[in-house]
Amino acid sequence: MTFVVPVGPQHPALKEPEFFKFEVKGEEIVDVDIRFGYAHKGIEEALQRRDYKHDVYLVERICGICNVVHTTTYCQAVEKLAGVEPPERAKYIRVIILELERIHSHLLWFGIAAHQIGFNTLFMLAWRDRERVMDLRELISGNRVTSATNTIGGVRRDVKPEQVSTILRGLDELERSAEYYIDLFSSDRTILARCTDVGVLTKDDARKFCAVGPLARASGVDTDVRSDHPYAVYDKLSFKVITEREGDVWAKSIVRLREILESIRIVRQAIKEMPIGPIRTKVNIEIPRNETIERAEAPRGELFYYALSNGTERPERVRVRTPTYANFASIKRMFVGGTVAEIPIVMWSIDPCFTCNDRVSLVDSRTGKTFTLSLEELRKWRL
Amino acid sequence: MEFLSFILGSLVFPGLLFASLIGLLYIGIDRKVAGHMQNRIGPPIWQEFLDVGKLLSKEDITPGAAQSPIFTAAPLVALGAAVTVMLLIPVSSAQPTLTMVADLIVIIYLLNIPAICMMLGGYSSGSPFGATGAGRYVVQLFGYEFVFILAILAAVVRVGSLGLPTIVGYQAQQGWLVLDWRLLPAVIAALVAIQGKLLRVPFDIPEAESEIVHGPLTEYSGPKLAIWRLAYDVETIVVAGLFAALFLGGPTAYVIGGIQIPSIVDFLIKTLAIVLLTTTLRNIMARLRIDQALKFYWTSATLLAIISLVLVLVVP
Repeated sequence: MTFVVPVGPQHPALKEPEFFKFEVKGEEIVDVDIRFGYAHKGIEEALQRRDYKHDVYLVERICGICNVVHTTTYCQAVEKLAGVEPPERAKYIRVIILELERIHSHLLWFGIAAHQIGFNTLFMLAWRDRERVMDLRELISGNRVTSATNTIGGVRRDVKPEQVSTILRGLDELERSAEYYIDLFSSDRTILARCTDVGVLTKDDARKFCAVGPLARASGVDTDVRSDHPYAVYDKLSFKVITEREGDVWAKSIVRLREILESIRIVRQAIKEMPIGPIRTKVNIEIPRNETIERAEAPRGELFYYALSNGTERPERVRVRTPTYANFASIKRMFVGGTVAEIPIVMWSIDPCFTCNDRVSLVDSRTGKTFTLSLEELRKWRL
Repeated sequence: MEFLSFILGSLVFPGLLFASLIGLLYIGIDRKVAGHMQNRIGPPIWQEFLDVGKLLSKEDITPGAAQSPIFTAAPLVALGAAVTVMLLIPVSSAQPTLTMVADLIVIIYLLNIPAICMMLGGYSSGSPFGATGAGRYVVQLFGYEFVFILAILAAVVRVGSLGLPTIVGYQAQQGWLVLDWRLLPAVIAALVAIQGKLLRVPFDIPEAESEIVHGPLTEYSGPKLAIWRLAYDVETIVVAGLFAALFLGGPTAYVIGGIQIPSIVDFLIKTLAIVLLTTTLRNIMARLRIDQALKFYWTSATLLAIISLVLVLVVP
């Protein structure tokens, strides 16, 4: 006999509202059904109603954790549309902020992963170390979370020479703690008991379901936009693409922790090799009709932007595909056959960001046809 | 007169009032210490009083699916059982408040009642989280209880009596049982069993918050939840007191520098030390899965207890 364990829309394992219907037999998961749409914000539509410069602030708020990668990808897309190239120094500053964001995102993920397996001490310690990155981000950009650094044609704030020593000192501390966590995750017996052979995604499945980011890399798929399709100045910096073979929760954790070390290396290189020069070029935002796509490696995986301009100050269409959306295809394979106790950690192992991921499309369930509604109709239906 | 002292004993000292005050205070200390271990400030040590007081003052709501006498009675019976054990363990002297009434077997029985009540409450709550949590608790009970009984049995065989006063008296003459090398494995096994009995990490599986919200207690709120908290806090002090009486010599009076220290102080110090030990353990580990916990109890922990039992029987 099976019964249903509802996880969501409100549940302690979820940080945002979505609904997962788990069919369980005792402790074993037999099936999972996912329902999205609880956190839909309508940002893509809102982007079309504002001009390019206002949109920077809006895309920054698509995701709270990975806001810089959203603005970077958006600004690069608009720069491509307008045919301008940002100054070299601006690209380096973007890389620095992007990598600091990756460190912060991975530490945040790591802390909550520890909480999901009941290790609250590690949760608090990981977030203590995350404060150091937040301080560095505040030092460089003036803000702890939404950095508001990027703008079309460059960045708004420069990295000053007197800040460099503080940044390098902070990176040293972060390196020490990341190394300690890697050591801990490879040796603590209760952690190993909860994380090994849990939520396994094989290499074939990862390829088949088009997994992206750390999820794919933990299954041995060597994919990283930073090296496959370099943007900003990633082609001038040397770094490794971290992969593991196992594909379980432990491998996903270790991939993220080792990526912190790689990010620290990248920031050190970027600070050393950063040329002196302007940080911003002027861009005329009345962009003629043009279209482009832009990709970047967010902390969670590949982030994809499509932009279409129409000769005015406003974009005709901006389409965002966030990494969580790409990773949801593999989630069922990771759950079925596992136990109820694994739900939180396996769900968290893809680093889900539901709000970024929610889109609306209207489908008639009888005919399978999709259709659009006007704003008046939406208001009438209270949607 | 005897009746009056029984009423006084069960309601004031060492019964309901005393046990609740100390239980709430110790869990408050536990939370504060856990906060410091986790690089937090932590709540003030009287936070547990505030929490329970606030819950008691709230409206009593029972969900429609859970309306049954079992759901309502479960917390009260659990608290009653925990307070009863308080009367049966030595607190202010080697003699418990109710003497010559019950031995260790009764105490072991009574200590299982809160667990059974929690299962019944979970099953009758009509929530899938409650049912899952109760199911896990049944499995966990079969894990830790066997180890706990075996470890107690080792101490009982060493002393040759099932009465707690005799065990405490024996330790007053022969030294603490924890210092006996033959009983050391049993002490470790008993500590592991206590960790499971008190639902502390790595054995907080029945109420794992990130998995099944609050397990059997998910649907409880207001005064009923307050009584559950109280029952849990009293159970903590009772289990610590039992452990102290079994292995740490029980409450004994000292004279330090000419000042008479009453044995109640000794009881408080020993129980606090045990509570803090479980606090440390719960802060340095991750939660196990229920199958892993059961496997651990039935292999390593049981083995430790059996080694101790055999040593006590074989080595004179």
